Amino acid sequence: MKRTGASGSAVHDPVMELEGITVRKSRGLLLDDVSLRVSRNEFVGIIGPNGAGKTTLLNVIAGFERFEGALRLFGRRESRKRTRETQLRIGYVPQLFPIDPAFPILAAEAVMTGAVGRLGFFRRSGEAEREKAMRLMEMMRMAHLADSPLGQLSGGERQKVSLARAILQEPDILLMDEPTANLDIAVQREVLILINELHRRENMTFLFVTHDFTMLPAAMRRAVLLDRGRVVFDGDVSGALSSETLSGLFRYPIELFERNGRRYVSYD
Amino acid sequence: MEQLIDALAYPPIQRAVLACVLCGAGCSLLSVFVVLMKMPLIGVSMSHAAFAGAVLGMLIHVNPFLSGLILCLLTAGILGPLSDRTDIAPENVLGILFSFLMGVAFLGMGILTHTKAEALNLIWGSLLSLSGPHLAVLAAVTVLLVAFILLFFKEIRSVLFNRRLAAASGVPERPIYYALLFLTGAIVSSNLTTVGGLLIFALLVQPGATALQLTYNLKHFFIISAFSGIAACLLGLVASYLLDLPSGAAVVLAATAIFAAAYVFSPKRRKAGPKKGKPVS
Ligand SMILES: Nc1ncnc2c1ncn2[C@@H]1O[C@H](COP(=O)(O)OP(=O)(O)OP(=O)(O)O)[C@@H](O)[C@H]1O
Ligand SMILES: [Mg+2]
Repeated sequence: MKRTGASGSAVHDPVMELEGITVRKSRGLLLDDVSLRVSRNEFVGIIGPNGAGKTTLLNVIAGFERFEGALRLFGRRESRKRTRETQLRIGYVPQLFPIDPAFPILAAEAVMTGAVGRLGFFRRSGEAEREKAMRLMEMMRMAHLADSPLGQLSGGERQKVSLARAILQEPDILLMDEPTANLDIAVQREVLILINELHRRENMTFLFVTHDFTMLPAAMRRAVLLDRGRVVFDGDVSGALSSETLSGLFRYPIELFERNGRRYVSYD
Repeated sequence: MEQLIDALAYPPIQRAVLACVLCGAGCSLLSVFVVLMKMPLIGVSMSHAAFAGAVLGMLIHVNPFLSGLILCLLTAGILGPLSDRTDIAPENVLGILFSFLMGVAFLGMGILTHTKAEALNLIWGSLLSLSGPHLAVLAAVTVLLVAFILLFFKEIRSVLFNRRLAAASGVPERPIYYALLFLTGAIVSSNLTTVGGLLIFALLVQPGATALQLTYNLKHFFIISAFSGIAACLLGLVASYLLDLPSGAAVVLAATAIFAAAYVFSPKRRKAGPKKGKPVS
């Protein structure tokens, strides 16, 4: 079922189809004729420099942004307004969001808010949900933080809460906006390994936005490079990671070389 | 002390005590939302809407409570969609509405000639002169708010935590938010005659701010807030009765004192004081 090769090869079971998606603001185009098909279980990276339109793209998919063009989710044509059913099938891990340190919510409670929409009105999130949340937190090695106030967690810990929260929603598509930004290198690795593991276990389609091409999860096979609102590359990660493409994308001389199967980057 | 217990035998005083409990509970439960959603101006806007509505009602000889309620609900109806737009910050929307409504209210005050004193009463309010039907309305609105919080607690928690994330995970965030705006309108307009349009703002912020000093548990947050609001109202009533002070002012000063005490003794502030180092595992 996994997609390999560059755009144009066979796509099975598309869960998400974008055709000519354009987002227009008074200052210009944030997205310019973006087309993209993603099939079930794929792990796609959206890579581009600051301001390329990556967050805008996720917002279009999540229903937070007005757009022109055709968006199909799970085979159904969608506008900005979504039904609750569609909303439930799409999980969202935002770029770091601010929270008041005194805000009255514990980490485990924050994770559990992910189940609220799925449960619906008048059903309490009982023992079953609590257990699911605890299992997720254990897997992320943060069970000991369950009863800590969310506002007092570090950026990395909060990012993991955010991830666990979205997984508890049990969506079919998971949108992640720079889930490893602001994390130190060890925690970045940890979160990436976690994301790999989740993709293996959870049978979800992942869209992973990042500007950091040196820190990509191993399960990510396909990369979409975004530059000034346009898709400039769509294909194999290894194809995307060439000195030439990256130097063009980031407008900065970047050299990539491989040694013992690992990629190294050098830039001045 | 004896003087107080004797006073409790009089029906007007009994009504005032009941009004205190209802006003304190209603406003302070709302203050949880005001504080956690960081929208302090919502109280100001609503109370000015209620006030402007009441003044307009006096002008055209409609029940001022009714016209106040209508203008409050209208404000809620405008505020909701307007604050969903991404091109204007909600705080700015509130600021514009607030000043507009203040203009309307003062315009009305200028035109009113013989009932000006009655309108001025709405600025200060009085816990001691409530009618039976008014109390019934106050009770109904407060019960409605309590029911809303109890029935939709988990949705409320998720919306308070993060509106956008709530929407993204299939929580009907907009209905919850709009219901909240309408309830705010109803509570504020029915409390215009108790603590008054100017001072109600304090009751819509201070109980929540008090709870913020004391707990990380949202359930306790609502409870602490409600109790500190009710306590402020009762303390204010007693002080105004014993010392012959204006009751609205006494209530607000009591609320401020309670907040100050919570701030000084806040366990949260002390715990959060020194930065704790954390090893990276
Ligand atoms: N509401 C808005 N109105 C006008 N321009 C906007 C708006 N939101 C974002 N932009 C602009 O659109 C461009 C794309 O923004 P977007 O947030 O999608 O970038 P990004 O690729 O996610 O960047 P980053 O890596 O910094 O997160 C930026 O140049 C930004 O300034
Ligand atoms: Mg972004």
